[in-house]
Amino acid sequence: MIRKHTRRAAKAAFAISLGVAIVIGLFAGAARPATNTSPTIVIGTKNFPEEYILGALYQQALQAKGFKVTNKGSLGSTELIQTALTSGKINFYPEYTGVIVQDVFNKASGKTAQATYNEAKQLEAAKGFTLLDMTPFSDIDVVAVTNATAKKYGLKSIGDLKKVGSYKFAGFPECQTRITCLVGYKKDYGIGKVTFVPAASISAYTLLDQGKALAADVFSTDPPLSKPSKYTVLADPKHITGFQNVAPIVKTSVVQQAGSTFASTVNAVSAKLTLAAMIAMNKAVEVDKQDPNSVAKAFLKANGLT
Amino acid sequence: MTAAGPGPVIPNFGQASACVTGNNLFCWGWVRDHWGDTLEPHLVQHAELTVVAVAIGFAIAFLLALVSHRLRALDQPIAITAGLIYTIPSLVAFQILIAFSGLSNTTVEIPLIGYSLVILYPNIAAGLRSAPPDVLEAARGMGLRPRQVLWRVELPLALPAIIAGLRVAVVSTVAVATVASLVGDRGLGYPIFQAMRLPTPFKTEIYSAGALVVGLALGFDLVLVAARRVLVGWAQ
Amino acid sequence: MGAVIFDVANGHTFLQGFSFVGDHPGFLAHKALEQLELSVAALAIAAAVALPVGIILGHLHRGSTVAIGASILGRALPSILLIAIFLTILGIGFVNNMFALAVLGTGPMLTNAYASVDGVERDVTDAARGMGMSGLQILRRVELPLALPLLFTGIRIAAVTVVATAPIAAIAGGGGLGDIIVNQASYRLQGVLGACYCVMALSAGVWLGLLALQRIVTPRALLTRVPMTGDN
Repeated sequence: MIRKHTRRAAKAAFAISLGVAIVIGLFAGAARPATNTSPTIVIGTKNFPEEYILGALYQQALQAKGFKVTNKGSLGSTELIQTALTSGKINFYPEYTGVIVQDVFNKASGKTAQATYNEAKQLEAAKGFTLLDMTPFSDIDVVAVTNATAKKYGLKSIGDLKKVGSYKFAGFPECQTRITCLVGYKKDYGIGKVTFVPAASISAYTLLDQGKALAADVFSTDPPLSKPSKYTVLADPKHITGFQNVAPIVKTSVVQQAGSTFASTVNAVSAKLTLAAMIAMNKAVEVDKQDPNSVAKAFLKANGLT
Repeated sequence: MTAAGPGPVIPNFGQASACVTGNNLFCWGWVRDHWGDTLEPHLVQHAELTVVAVAIGFAIAFLLALVSHRLRALDQPIAITAGLIYTIPSLVAFQILIAFSGLSNTTVEIPLIGYSLVILYPNIAAGLRSAPPDVLEAARGMGLRPRQVLWRVELPLALPAIIAGLRVAVVSTVAVATVASLVGDRGLGYPIFQAMRLPTPFKTEIYSAGALVVGLALGFDLVLVAARRVLVGWAQ
Repeated sequence: MGAVIFDVANGHTFLQGFSFVGDHPGFLAHKALEQLELSVAALAIAAAVALPVGIILGHLHRGSTVAIGASILGRALPSILLIAIFLTILGIGFVNNMFALAVLGTGPMLTNAYASVDGVERDVTDAARGMGMSGLQILRRVELPLALPLLFTGIRIAAVTVVATAPIAAIAGGGGLGDIIVNQASYRLQGVLGACYCVMALSAGVWLGLLALQRIVTPRALLTRVPMTGDN
């Protein structure tokens, strides 16, 4: 009797696991195409907090207006999310104008934010993607020093670093080979004699605080730069670091199918994303450990976008 | 073109508690607040990943073990292949698969299935072989055909080994699945990974997600121990 | 069309990984060396703890739960969690990862050290005791030489485990080939794959290198022994 019991149990276990395997296989394989007229917006984001916030903002704003939206979440770096976009896995993601022109299409960046945007828009349109309006904020490389350092050497713009003479400069590893980073700073401004300190997993701000670097390449929307900040951002009058406003890339057919409220809803959100707003939201997520979805919700509500 | 208009209202997103900003060892408040949006969804994802991987791995291992039980010559090649799969570090396996199947669940599941397969196959095969020869003799003497011998004698006797293998496979899969988070937002490894990358690694998130991983492994293990008691009571 | 799981076009990237290795041999070698440094340091600590403890426990035939449990714990503890915990305790850099990886390497070394000494046939140790040897002499002259194969296997397993897991430590400042693998944004998928191939080559090299060392160190008589359970 025990044997019959265990034999059946073994059979059942095997059948169940085979069944699970088949069902999972079917689900994993099948992409269910949308059959109704209003298309599902499938959003993806890159793998850092600013993008999560952007994804959540656009998702919630569209859902509030009745669109069907799925957010696939973080899909990785530019390379990987571009593959997802072109292969149809997603049809919407927030990208940076400079990245589109320089990294995706390998062309030179425009001389102004508007020019860069226009170029990106044309390049994407040729591939069947529409670039919606760009945000006021631009997430670019900036050079920062502590306030004390700025005062001590009278530093206002990147070129002023010449006055310091010989010092350590921190940045992410690739910065030392990029024309939009250290290579450009040296070439177009002349910044004195610099020893590069790669800040791969350690924060460049920590290096500044500990005095292990005098200047660092950081990003304009980093939370430590929220006013009032311990750090001074040095001006980049020649715009070496380019322009990186955010503009959502959307598959053109989806834009057309979705109707006119689609574009206006997305653009209304983008219009409110100033540098101060983005820094504040980044701070809420990275420093105050809030969830990106809640931060997005609060922002949209406060601005009447939901 | 940027639309003109008044500047945005930036609401107060809520200050983090002193515990969080101070990065104290463990902030219960944060855990309570973020259970629903961070911890629980990732726990569920992690459990799903594990169950699917072990289920499919078990199905394949079971089939292979049945085949090699009949055709003993196949046992060595299968064991060697399994050993080779085991030598591929999980991080490497995930990255290589990204090239083929992108950032999908498939990429994550294939190595997990592979590793659980590698653990389960030897256990099931050994379990099937563990029937004492005199018992098999007796069964055959009673007139049972080979297929009946398999289902009524060998398999029930193999159950302890099978369940032991499942326990190791499940615990091991729960652990390896944390690395899957480096491929994308899946499983409890993701909050750990995110918390590590912050300028100051956020302790509470690491410890709470970590506790959940260990708890999940223990939970699965307890379920399997209970299953063994039910199915194999006579052997204990 | 979801039935196709594999995007054939991307099989190309798989091969590009190899050309990345060909294009950056010096850089990759430097990174591999960094990884070896970290691994060796971690293994040294693990060995310093696990080997004496395992050997003594095995000699005394006690504490099997501890010895076996160490491996089970090692298998159950996710490496990423270990690395994260040490990151929070010791900050970012070399030392925190050294300790995290040391914990990882302790399991196999402890379990095998215990099993190897514990498993020496009682007849042999009894005979030695009968000859008047002290406990320490038995350990040194009888048990350890006989235990060497299994003991060394534990070291080999620990070594490969540590070397293969070290890439994950890059997130916590551990350096090595992991720096490339976790920085896909900078190095692109082909760079990541190239680094992955190097990790596998490194692991294989460590395994084979230690295997060769084991052959050299093992007393000739033992080389033809029937392997004990647990040898691999």
